[in-house]
Amino acid sequence: MAPSRLTAQAAGVNGKTALRFLLRAFGAAILILVIWRVTTVGLAEGYPASFWISQALNGLVLGGVYALVALGYTLVYGILFMINFAHGEVMMIGGIAGFFALQFSQARGWMEGPWPVVVAALLLIMLFGMAASVLIGVALERLAYRPLRQAPRLVPLISAIGASLFLQYSVLLIFGVSPHSYRKPALISGGMRMGDVFIPYTGAIIFFTSILLMLALYFIIQRTKLGRAMRAVAEDRATASLMGVDVNAVIVITFMLGSALAGAAGVMLGFHNTVVKFNSGFVPGLKAFTAAVLGGIGNIPGAMFGALILGLIEAIGPSALGIPTEYKDVIAFSLLVLILIFRPSGLFGEVLSEKKA
Amino acid sequence: MLPILANGAFRNGLIVFAFLGYLILIGIPGRLGGSALPILALVAALFFWVRLRRDLSDIEGSFLRTGGATGKPGWRIGEPGHTSPQEAGTPLPGREGTLAIRKGLLAGITTGLLIAVVSFAFASAIGSGTSIQPVLDKVVPVNVAALIGVSPGQISNDEVPPLRYLLQVLFFTAAGLIAALAAVAARVHGLQTTAVARLSTYLDSQLFRKAARFAGILLPFLLLAFIAWLGIPGVTAFGSNEGTVRLLLTLIATGSGLFALRLAHPGREQKTVALLLALGVLTLPFILDQFQNSVMGLVFIFVMMGLGLNIVVGYAGLLDLGYVAFFAIGAYTYAFLSAPFSSPYISDLLTFLGISPANPLLGYWTALPVAMLTAAIGGILLGIPVLRLRGDYLAIVTLGFGEIIRLFMLNLGELTNGPRGILEISQPGLFGLAPQSFSSGLLSSQGWIFLVALVSSAVVAFVAIRLNDSRLGRAWFAMQEDEDVAEATGVHLVRTKLLAFAIGATFAGMAGQLYASRQINIFPENFSLFVSIDALALIIVGGIGSPAGIVLGALALKGLPEVLRGVDEYRIVAFAALLVIMMIVRPAGILPSARRRIQVSSTEDQISTPGEEDLDEEELDEVTGRRAQAASANREAARGQEGP
Repeated sequence: MAPSRLTAQAAGVNGKTALRFLLRAFGAAILILVIWRVTTVGLAEGYPASFWISQALNGLVLGGVYALVALGYTLVYGILFMINFAHGEVMMIGGIAGFFALQFSQARGWMEGPWPVVVAALLLIMLFGMAASVLIGVALERLAYRPLRQAPRLVPLISAIGASLFLQYSVLLIFGVSPHSYRKPALISGGMRMGDVFIPYTGAIIFFTSILLMLALYFIIQRTKLGRAMRAVAEDRATASLMGVDVNAVIVITFMLGSALAGAAGVMLGFHNTVVKFNSGFVPGLKAFTAAVLGGIGNIPGAMFGALILGLIEAIGPSALGIPTEYKDVIAFSLLVLILIFRPSGLFGEVLSEKKA
Repeated sequence: MLPILANGAFRNGLIVFAFLGYLILIGIPGRLGGSALPILALVAALFFWVRLRRDLSDIEGSFLRTGGATGKPGWRIGEPGHTSPQEAGTPLPGREGTLAIRKGLLAGITTGLLIAVVSFAFASAIGSGTSIQPVLDKVVPVNVAALIGVSPGQISNDEVPPLRYLLQVLFFTAAGLIAALAAVAARVHGLQTTAVARLSTYLDSQLFRKAARFAGILLPFLLLAFIAWLGIPGVTAFGSNEGTVRLLLTLIATGSGLFALRLAHPGREQKTVALLLALGVLTLPFILDQFQNSVMGLVFIFVMMGLGLNIVVGYAGLLDLGYVAFFAIGAYTYAFLSAPFSSPYISDLLTFLGISPANPLLGYWTALPVAMLTAAIGGILLGIPVLRLRGDYLAIVTLGFGEIIRLFMLNLGELTNGPRGILEISQPGLFGLAPQSFSSGLLSSQGWIFLVALVSSAVVAFVAIRLNDSRLGRAWFAMQEDEDVAEATGVHLVRTKLLAFAIGATFAGMAGQLYASRQINIFPENFSLFVSIDALALIIVGGIGSPAGIVLGALALKGLPEVLRGVDEYRIVAFAALLVIMMIVRPAGILPSARRRIQVSSTEDQISTPGEEDLDEEELDEVTGRRAQAASANREAARGQEGP
């Protein structure tokens, strides 16, 4: 393919240089603007250090949740080369299911019991949310994606958009528009104070649970036979199938793992935001996708760190730039655009492109 | 082959039960009331029929179905299990027929029993006063009552006659039986040769074809005449539903016009039909009433949107999910020019400049180029950062862009008046005249909007079709196929992509301006993501790349929900399901463009829009991808032989 590549470069040299120049100019302008804003406005406000620390801790908690969702995007992208656009909705359904499980255990007074009962009930709630998400994730793969595995790339994407809307509005029709509020049990509703910094228990629990789940996933992928099969399928589907790997089963299991993580994230986000409703998966889904791109899509540690970085930027960004917090979504999306301009393969490198080479 | 038939009966029953369960959860039986049971049984029968028909054709060894619903390649000649096509129509042995009927019955009984058990459980729970789930308590009783065929009061008093549950089982069993009989009957040799064959020779005859073509061309005109007749004061053919029926007929007439154009022979005949149709459709704004006109106006505003989005998605292959941004830019530009007093910032600025903000700055037609230009600039500004992005990345970034624009509209209260919106936007005139004065009162205000929308979308369609056939259109198409090759053949990628974004945005800006003057007051929530999704859905359903398909898509997706008032809350769910189903069953759309048809049907083509990766990487990926596809296809075929 070398000759055609050379011709392509020779013919397109004008177009590509102009393009690169435009992009660089655009990005540089934004960077200068951001730096100017941070130094003249954000830092000039004179917030105390404890403010920045507690914002950063908030960011890490949010980042942990995003990481769980981002892993789902990355896993599926690594194997199928498609964006599972409905992944945010899979998370939302985990949250909804968790809400009902919470209500169930509250009705039985488990939430007021001794601490082992509360912890067991919380675990059950999370498992229930994960189970619901897994069910939806597998159904999604079977009905909306599997028939399209050989189709051109845009086709499964549009199908995924359809599936995302379908899930959102089915939940709307079934459970209504109004948000369902998560009531925290007394055991975890407080917090601890370290100097001037207040750390809520839920935040700490969410952060450590997500780290634990991520480690579990990493162990599954790196150390088990199943993980080896998944990596093999991601590397080369045909060869893996010749080596006796059941490709379809691996794809289903990938969806299951991703959905389980998303379900856990949904339940934890429910506790964090205190409400869950039909569209509460949409924006976090987009953010998690941003995080996956930030770390390099297809790259598992990349997705984790990308999500933590995104969470930090989102929490600190509005105050650092001196703009209202309503614009924190704007910051996340702008970050996505900037990343795609300067490092389309993400901060930690896209595993995908190495594989293609 | 027998296991295929014996297996899966219970599975079919379970799948139908799950589907019906979904319908019950979203509240369909409650809506249907007394007729819920028969209608749901009919739905079940349809499903069973599709499944059984597929199983039966599997037995006959017609594995040759290439493509089909799943797009999986069939068996290759020479491999075991292959039967030549001639054998496909062989008479069905009695044994398989009996098995099919047994299977249908079993599936029906499974569904029926499950439905009966579940409704009994719910009914007795409600009857004994147990709360199932606080959220579901509002939904469940009505739907369970409708499903059992009693009133909700009877359920809560726990006085449901037990025979009702038996009736449920019977209904679904009958559904399974009827489906099986229908599936077997179509396969029985005798039936096929006599009735079907005779019918098909008849349908093939020259005379019938001529008559059908003639009728097809005549249909829209007959419908238009009927609509006009219904509009005469004093004529009431449909009683209180007349307004809705007339709207439905208008939608059908316009849609059938598109098919009439396809039926007409190219050349003089097609031109004549087109001219007559144009005249007929142009009279519609004068004969419809305010409500029908407003719906049709919206439909044609979305035709403009669809045509613009089609340039970006259909021609250039750039999936843009933030298209609503340009619609919003057009609408707000015109709003600022037409109602400067509604925006605090602009009225302050004008007062500062010594201009009174109480009057519109520009009229509709003089503001048109401004709105188009602003939208085009927006398109280029979006285009620059996303120039390098691949298909699916692009989709997400543009989606984010659409959300950013909406967030700005909502939060820039000084400029856009925030959620309170811009009010009192003026309507288009004609040389300073109001529509009533030059149409001697025949044209209502919404009729005038519809007329403007018709003319504008005709202009947009003309430009879009000419663009598609132009050098630029071919450049877009080349770029869609393969960016690197296109560049190698001399396509200037930056210019071509930016032109696609700019032209698409221009059309959206036009549509947005008309939308603003149709709405009179606009608010940020008018410009949510759903406008983008609607526009995308209509070009996909109609047929990407085909202007006629886009008109059809707009009629079906924006017009029909207005006719089916009261099912509005199911609209988005139905759209979403439609998107998925269309992608699986007919990815090229209802009225596909010739190019697209070729493209989508060949599975080896990838409409990916690669970024700056090296060509050989892409190539290699293609090759491995293809190998993987072939391998997985073989595996699937092998599994198909063993039974599901």
